[in-house]
Amino acid sequence: MIENRPWLNVFTHLVLILGVAIVIAPVYLAFVASTHGDGAFVSGVMPLWPGSEMAANYGSMFTTGMAKSGAPPLALMMWNALVMAVVITVGKIAISIISAYAIIYFRFPGRVLFFWMIFITLMLPVEVRIVPTFKVVADLGMLNSYAGLTLPLIASATATFLFRQFFMTLPDELTEAARVDGAGPMRFFRDILLPLSRTNIAALSVILFIYGWVQYLWPLLVTTDPRYYTIVMGIKRMVAVAEADPQWNLVMAAVMLAMLPPVLVVILMQRLFVKGLVETEK
Amino acid sequence: MATIAIENVRKTYPGGIEVIKGLDLSIAAGELVVLVGPSGCGKSTLLRMIAGLESITAGEIAIGGRVVNNLEPAERDIAMVFQNYALYPHMSVRGNLEYGLKNRGTPRAEIDARVKEAARILEIEPFLDRKPRQLSGGQRQRVAMGRAIVRKPQAFLFDEPLSNLDAKLRGHMRVEIRRLQRTLGTTLVYVTHDQLEAMTLADKLVVMNGGAIEQQGSPLELYGDPQTLFVAGFMGSPGMNLIDVAQLRAAGATLPDAVPAGTGVIGIRPEDVFLEAGRVDGPAITLPARIEAVEMVGAESLAYAAVGGLSQSVVLRIPGAWTGHADTAADLHLPLTRLHCFSKETGRKVPLSAPALAA
Repeated sequence: MIENRPWLNVFTHLVLILGVAIVIAPVYLAFVASTHGDGAFVSGVMPLWPGSEMAANYGSMFTTGMAKSGAPPLALMMWNALVMAVVITVGKIAISIISAYAIIYFRFPGRVLFFWMIFITLMLPVEVRIVPTFKVVADLGMLNSYAGLTLPLIASATATFLFRQFFMTLPDELTEAARVDGAGPMRFFRDILLPLSRTNIAALSVILFIYGWVQYLWPLLVTTDPRYYTIVMGIKRMVAVAEADPQWNLVMAAVMLAMLPPVLVVILMQRLFVKGLVETEK
Repeated sequence: MATIAIENVRKTYPGGIEVIKGLDLSIAAGELVVLVGPSGCGKSTLLRMIAGLESITAGEIAIGGRVVNNLEPAERDIAMVFQNYALYPHMSVRGNLEYGLKNRGTPRAEIDARVKEAARILEIEPFLDRKPRQLSGGQRQRVAMGRAIVRKPQAFLFDEPLSNLDAKLRGHMRVEIRRLQRTLGTTLVYVTHDQLEAMTLADKLVVMNGGAIEQQGSPLELYGDPQTLFVAGFMGSPGMNLIDVAQLRAAGATLPDAVPAGTGVIGIRPEDVFLEAGRVDGPAITLPARIEAVEMVGAESLAYAAVGGLSQSVVLRIPGAWTGHADTAADLHLPLTRLHCFSKETGRKVPLSAPALAA
């Protein structure tokens, strides 16, 4: 439908611009704050243009961290967050693709029961089971470790469900052709299913990486040792300083850096991501 | 090249539905056997049981003298071509052809030689490095056959391989499959619901209905001498005219003595019904009728004639373009020698009594 109504055009653009502005403004302010000296942000007049302290702020945050609030250097926290996000992504995809494979392609007693058990855990997000999970992790002595950070978040009903749906769309004849061609269960998985799931895996990776990166509550609970702080929860520690104003310029520098990897991942993986969501290669 | 022996094979699905009801079939080495029948007759199930994709409830299937009941499809040394081709979408054509050989640990040089040969036979060399989605339906079909050929199996199993092609291509591929099978000399079991395809391809034609074999034999045997009502109606397009004797009698027609006593239905092929008495030699049944409609098919015309008292019209195949007018009265002449008599109760053929025919 092609319409030529100039005012409608102007109006729609205004609405869109307004929406973008609402999203961008806080990010911009965070950026501006991260480029000014200590105290500029809380002096009463908020600067609207970037200042001159950018290099100093980012540099000190990246290498030494915020000693006053006991936060480690950003480099370490970003590394921790990266480890957490990558382990969660890889772990979730590995486990869910294997369990979906089992549920779709094998006949074993309790198959339907297992599927529903997995499916029902969709109703139990991390926050709901956080206290018992903490108890289990603590009893296993996994507090303050990468294992404690990642393991409880790996089991994933959502990804299992997505792979299950994808496998169900594959024609049975493909499996049968592989059987006639002498591919056993392992070969079929490796040679046929994995390559066909490529775009799905890519799309899921993007979603799961961001999910892992922005985890806040769980790292906050299981880590008390600064060596295992992740960046998103580390920001919380920076803000919670006793008897002093938070150093907002440094906090905002940390915020900007925390936002960077998810943005990069989305930009770099965008094409694959859209392909995975839209196209099913059959 | 191998024989396939099927002995008293049954297939019952959970829930007690019996789809194959104790079936015997022996296939000679190098024979092209076509299983044909309406959908749901169990022909695909039988093929999949030979392939090993369906379990065998009872009975025995042997390929090349070796009982394969409990062997995996890959161990049976067969190759299958599926209706939707089932090519691996992420592999190139070459990858598709190679995959089965690779899984068997065939040496690289041997694989390359076989792929090259298959590609040459099927004329798919230019596409070897393309993905299946970049190919047309006919080309995919060739690749699917190539995947079967490179394996050099004991037997090929084709499951309605031409159903997804347009009519012209289907005719072309039919000839090609026939030629290919002759060249390779490999036993081929071919499933189709298209009786034209079945007629033109088969060395031996097996008509199935309701999980059992109705009749088997050469295509012309089945066409010329159907043993059951089902086969008579199924083979040929249009099928045989099947006329209810009771209706005929009720309309006042008398049947000659040559028609045996137990006959409930008489059948006659459309090409055996004549309008001119002069073209019939020997005794014939004559029925007064009215030509209702004529279809010109090009080389021949199909006329539909209504006979008083019959619920179905009688179809006539007339060579060339028919010059008469529709909606005219005409006499139909049914030569006795071309008549097929069936019992209504058993659906089986009742033989014409030869002495009565001579008289």
